[in-house]
Amino acid sequence: MKGFEPVIGLEIHMQLNTKSKMFSPEANRFGDEPNTNVGFVDLAIPGALPVINREAVNKAILFGLATRATIETTSYFDRKSYFYPDNPAGYQITQFYKPLLVGGQVETLVDGEKKTFAIEHTHLENDAGKLIHFPNFAGVDFNRAGAPLIEIVSHPCMHSAKDATAYATAILAIAEYLDITEGNLQEGCMRMDVNISVRKIGEHLLRKKAEIKNLNSFHNMELAIEAEVARQIAFYEDHPDGSLESGTYRFDLERRQTVLMRRKETADDYRYFPEPDLPPLVITREEIDRLAQRLPELPQERYRRYVETLGLSPYNANVLIHNRRLCLFFEEGLRICKNAVSLCNWVTVEFGGRANERSLAVDALGIPARHIAELVNAVDDGRITGKMAKEIADMMMTSPNASPLDIIVENPRFRPISDTNELDAVIATVLEKHPQSVLDYKNGKDRAFQFLIGMVMRETKGQANPEIVRDLLLKKIEMM
Amino acid sequence: MFRETARGINFRFMSGEISAEEITRYFLKRIRLGDGAVGSILALLEEGALAQARELDHRKSRGDKLGPLAGTPILIKDNIHICGEKTTCASRFLEHFVAPFDAFVVTKLREAGAIFIAKANLDEFAMGSSTENSAFQKSYNPWDLERIPGGSSGGSAAGVSAMFAPLSLGSDTGGSIRQPAGLTNLYGFRPTYGRVSRYGLVSFGSSLDQIGPFARDIDDLILLQEVLAHHCPLDSTSLANAHEPLLTKDTSLQGKRLGVAFELLDRVDSDVSEVYHNAVETFQELGCEIVPVSMAFLEYAIPTYYVLSSAEASTNLARFDGVRYGRRSPDARELEEVYRLSRMEGFGPEVKQRIFLGTFVLSSGFKEAYFQKAQKVRRLISEEHKALFERCDMLLLPTTPTPAFKAGEITDPVHMYLQDLFTSSGPLVGCPSLSFPAGFSKTGLPIGLQLEGPLMGDRETLRFARAFQEVTPFASKSPPAFDKEFA
Repeated sequence: MKGFEPVIGLEIHMQLNTKSKMFSPEANRFGDEPNTNVGFVDLAIPGALPVINREAVNKAILFGLATRATIETTSYFDRKSYFYPDNPAGYQITQFYKPLLVGGQVETLVDGEKKTFAIEHTHLENDAGKLIHFPNFAGVDFNRAGAPLIEIVSHPCMHSAKDATAYATAILAIAEYLDITEGNLQEGCMRMDVNISVRKIGEHLLRKKAEIKNLNSFHNMELAIEAEVARQIAFYEDHPDGSLESGTYRFDLERRQTVLMRRKETADDYRYFPEPDLPPLVITREEIDRLAQRLPELPQERYRRYVETLGLSPYNANVLIHNRRLCLFFEEGLRICKNAVSLCNWVTVEFGGRANERSLAVDALGIPARHIAELVNAVDDGRITGKMAKEIADMMMTSPNASPLDIIVENPRFRPISDTNELDAVIATVLEKHPQSVLDYKNGKDRAFQFLIGMVMRETKGQANPEIVRDLLLKKIEMM
Repeated sequence: MFRETARGINFRFMSGEISAEEITRYFLKRIRLGDGAVGSILALLEEGALAQARELDHRKSRGDKLGPLAGTPILIKDNIHICGEKTTCASRFLEHFVAPFDAFVVTKLREAGAIFIAKANLDEFAMGSSTENSAFQKSYNPWDLERIPGGSSGGSAAGVSAMFAPLSLGSDTGGSIRQPAGLTNLYGFRPTYGRVSRYGLVSFGSSLDQIGPFARDIDDLILLQEVLAHHCPLDSTSLANAHEPLLTKDTSLQGKRLGVAFELLDRVDSDVSEVYHNAVETFQELGCEIVPVSMAFLEYAIPTYYVLSSAEASTNLARFDGVRYGRRSPDARELEEVYRLSRMEGFGPEVKQRIFLGTFVLSSGFKEAYFQKAQKVRRLISEEHKALFERCDMLLLPTTPTPAFKAGEITDPVHMYLQDLFTSSGPLVGCPSLSFPAGFSKTGLPIGLQLEGPLMGDRETLRFARAFQEVTPFASKSPPAFDKEFA
């Protein structure tokens, strides 16, 4: 690694969650019986012609607005030719020469450091079908054929696997906020091609790159980048004056290696040319303005609100904004809870941790956000102690519909001991048992005082109200 | 009845003189008896046509309002879909392909009450100028059965010329309606690009393809074109204002400026030249001002047309891969062979040649020199064409350099491509262009000329032809061998 710098660019293919396909009226829906959502255009029946889906165009424009791209008021579609059974027309309709969105940028935190990544362009295109292999033949499911995609092409502006993951995560968050994708990576809603080269630090030109195709999880992408960067550096260390050949690779997860598919020299010639079945895609200023009004709060705006207004830590804010559903859950709790910092902790750490043990997301536990907020409020109001709250949280996990307020009312042990007589007796016993700590405190050791509080809490099995214990303890020691 | 115009047949049907079923049976029989020597028909749609006819008779007896073509038989070029009937494109690849939907124009014709009696022969995938490239049969010219009827819509032209129907549909990419119309004494109209929906037409060169009508009578042609020209939401290149009334009472050409290009006559034989001169005189007598123009850009139209149309065709035909429909080679054992063998066996030599050409001109390293250069030339031709209409209202051009040639006479493809010399610039521009019956050679072969209007000038183009028909006898002439009942 020493002395070398990876240079990474991403091409992200993202499926848009439109009702119908990019160029046909068939349903844009997956998981159905194979070849049920297919029409004449999707099967490339001769005589059928493509018609642009304006909903897909609008969703792409929203993405452009959110990433501050230039929205071209006139863009064009092109044919990209290649033969494959999942590509029914023998060409894909894409935007090669003049895409809808040019430029744009994404801001995000990488290891706590704020970075801005530049997008080169974003274009619309249609997806291919899916090959399904059987023992001695293969079938094609065309349900996905014609699904609308945006391809987001970054500049080669990333320098580590972490950069790439942070960028891709930020892109996904933006798309989820805009509600333009289902965002389900396992189902292939977002697929990444990664271009990687390495160079000596200080070099300005790019060396020959490798393209790793079709990565469908952030984790795999990170592993693939690390493996490829290591391979290239090893090559240059062995051949200081050598030059790698450009090529297209796939990632073998089991061997943790990138595997060459083909060299660039033998690359397909896609013979791009303007799609004659479609007129130029013309967007008016008014349409763009109308869409701009529909823009929701975006991840980075929300991040600023969380940090600057709610006082969340940058780390927590970053965790929240990149998980739209968790964020919605948090926001729901926020409606009845003033203590955002504590609520965030309870949602992400306490319940987050408990959910994690069951491999679930917090919002999938069945516990209403309102209940978590009520729990936080109960602690803030001093009605229960933090320790009690944790126990109540465990009980909420086993009966997700139970309100924490009901649990508190129904269980006497969750009533904090605030009776000073009862506490005075406990405190007297504790002071008697730990004379040295009393001395230490009087000699200025604050930690000794904390220890004494802890002892009282232990004696009361955590039921004592810590505020009251503190006051009583102070008074008692002063009197000694 | 075979001599009757479409309007005449419609009148006889509407007046109750004859039923739609009788009309249909009459023309089906005429085709069965007469087409043997012509070869214009690939499939008789007996069942479908009779069902349509009975439906019309039924609706008429009920007193329903019927469309303007009710009871009128029509031939449909076999690259246009009629749902449930085969669309072969005269190709082995689609020999058994059944259309799963109606073309938009077929829907419009159904609404208008036209009866689809047969699918007409063509050059395979509409690639050719003689209909000799059909994988199934050759078609011959009713005016001289040793000669070709032109192409690619040769069957549509020969069939109407032999009076197997008063109307037919063709498609025109570089002259495929106008050239056969010119060689068979018909009106053949290529509308402004986008007037007629391409939905349900098997694409050849998408940016050039237009469906258009054939007829023996200009008013029949106008009537049919009014039925065809409508905006279609399923074709993104369909014009929003596709429809307009085309029949105008006013046939006066007084003061209209007709652009004539005498220089072009260097490229035609003496018969065509004479017909051209005579037509200029006729238009002059009709009150036109004759404006000499130069159309030097025609030199570049053919290569430009062949580069662009082949490029588009090479991708439009990529869908014929043997995976989903059409021919799949029985010898194919794996994917690569499915592609290679199915296409090798399914396509004829002309189609393969165009695919090779189109693939070449788009391929990396050659695209700039061929495809992109051709795109630039197309723009320049459009600009020059537009500029001509600042000086004139209509252009008069030959349709073909010679009357119909003999079958097998032209074997060199480059020589064959010269058939498109006067017809390939119109499609590059997208303008309306009509071939009309303008005279005969000394040996009695028909000679057509073209009227070419500015973009959207369809009505005016047809109006010029109407004025010409009123004062000339040519359109009313029929091929002698077919001007009779067959028994």
